[in-house]
Amino acid sequence: MTSIPIKSIGQMDIRAALARLRLDRLRVLIGPVVLVALWQIGSATGLIPEQTLAAPSTVIAAGADLVETGRLQEHLLVSLGRAATGLALGVAIGAALAVVAGLFRFGEDLIDGPMQILRAIPALALVPLAIVWFGIGEEVKVFLVVFATAFPVYVNTHAAIRGLDPRFAELARTAELGRIGLVRHVILPGALPGFFTGLRFATAISWLVLVVSEQINATSGIGFLMTQARSFAQTDVIVVGLVVYGLLGLVSDRLVRFTEGRVLPWRRTFNAR
Amino acid sequence: MATDLQRAVAAPAAVAVRALDKSFGAQHVLQGVDLDIAPGEFTALLGRSGSGKSTLLRVLAGLDTEYGGEVAVPARRAVAFQDARLLPWKRVLDNVVLGRRGKAARAQGLAVLEEVGLADKAKAWPHTLSGGEGQRAALARALVREPELLLLDEPFGALDALTRLKMHALLRRLWAVHRPSVLLVTHDVEEAIALADRVLVLTEGRISLDARVELPETAPRRSREFADLRDRLLAELGVAESER
Repeated sequence: MTSIPIKSIGQMDIRAALARLRLDRLRVLIGPVVLVALWQIGSATGLIPEQTLAAPSTVIAAGADLVETGRLQEHLLVSLGRAATGLALGVAIGAALAVVAGLFRFGEDLIDGPMQILRAIPALALVPLAIVWFGIGEEVKVFLVVFATAFPVYVNTHAAIRGLDPRFAELARTAELGRIGLVRHVILPGALPGFFTGLRFATAISWLVLVVSEQINATSGIGFLMTQARSFAQTDVIVVGLVVYGLLGLVSDRLVRFTEGRVLPWRRTFNAR
Repeated sequence: MATDLQRAVAAPAAVAVRALDKSFGAQHVLQGVDLDIAPGEFTALLGRSGSGKSTLLRVLAGLDTEYGGEVAVPARRAVAFQDARLLPWKRVLDNVVLGRRGKAARAQGLAVLEEVGLADKAKAWPHTLSGGEGQRAALARALVREPELLLLDEPFGALDALTRLKMHALLRRLWAVHRPSVLLVTHDVEEAIALADRVLVLTEGRISLDARVELPETAPRRSREFADLRDRLLAELGVAESER
């Protein structure tokens, strides 16, 4: 007899847990699932030929195979390394230039003009020049990421510094903060939201640039994996590469947003909850 | 040259202003202002918008350094503005002790927050404060500097009427304890009379009226003297009798 109430409590717990998981959120998955199902049916019935696009099941098998042989991890690590190195350098350069241009009149005159001009050049248009400079090794890929990511960080950080409420500078004077205190307590923390906006753009752009540069001349990386698959018409491997790129973009954006939330807890955001 | 004069604090008055001129381009905002404020005196400065009252406060605060005439003010000054002006990226206590160094500063900051009734908000982010709480934090930030001269630029202008009354009482209490000289810039005649010991009216860049506030102890706001002074000030400010 005692087992009945215990069981009912267990059921209640499960229901409460399901409610907490917010099952209604899973509704967003309906569209993608239907799409993949249609794709699978299309492939199975021959409506979508294998050479055009491999079936989802084939893609999953190819992915599993790539993971099993370790090739995916190997190339993924190379791509990650390039993106991280390029991003770190690009962000550092962009932020440093923005701070110098934002804080000093001469910095503004010296830096902002050239940055606004260079910004108009699509990073990928630099590929031929970059190959002449760096050959086809690692440097060229990292360089392109550095070049492409420095600008969004520069532009957004610089704009944030310029856009700071001048009343805060006035406050700093009445609080006798001094020049260094003004930079430390007012300007830099006030510019952080702009910096993070730039960082998010930069992260997205780093993958974009990497995709292209790894497909042009590379012997490793996810882009190379996809180019190689193209020569053998392995659409399944190509789709695996696409999925990996997509996941990398998604995960890195989430990571930046998570960090942003941690670093800027003072911000009144609508998406915080 | 103006800053040289500011360093000469030896004056017996807390504030000594002589023939202060200030213009923005062709517009003469202050035209020969003379003003003495005694140590510990609570003075309110009234004026219509554009009369130059905020400009006078900014000169005394050291925020405007290009002017003609002589200005002597204490070295320890603090300002509270109409907006609380709290740095959004610093918690309330860090805002209060902004620019103060040393371990004692935080303890002092907490003590002042306690005084203004905000001790429980020390760790809150500014955007979570109400308008009145923000102004109380701004007052705490001013008081932690132990100012000899407290400059208030319409600090209650953006508050609702009930909160404003509470802030008036708080300000009077704080002033009685700390005894700084106060210059309160406001456009609210009743606020000026209720708070200050002395009310000035600034008209077209000159001080056109300088009146002592002497009210009875009981129900001062409903006294005959209050109403009389109110009428006098409103007349000086150019408000017709039918508009009062």
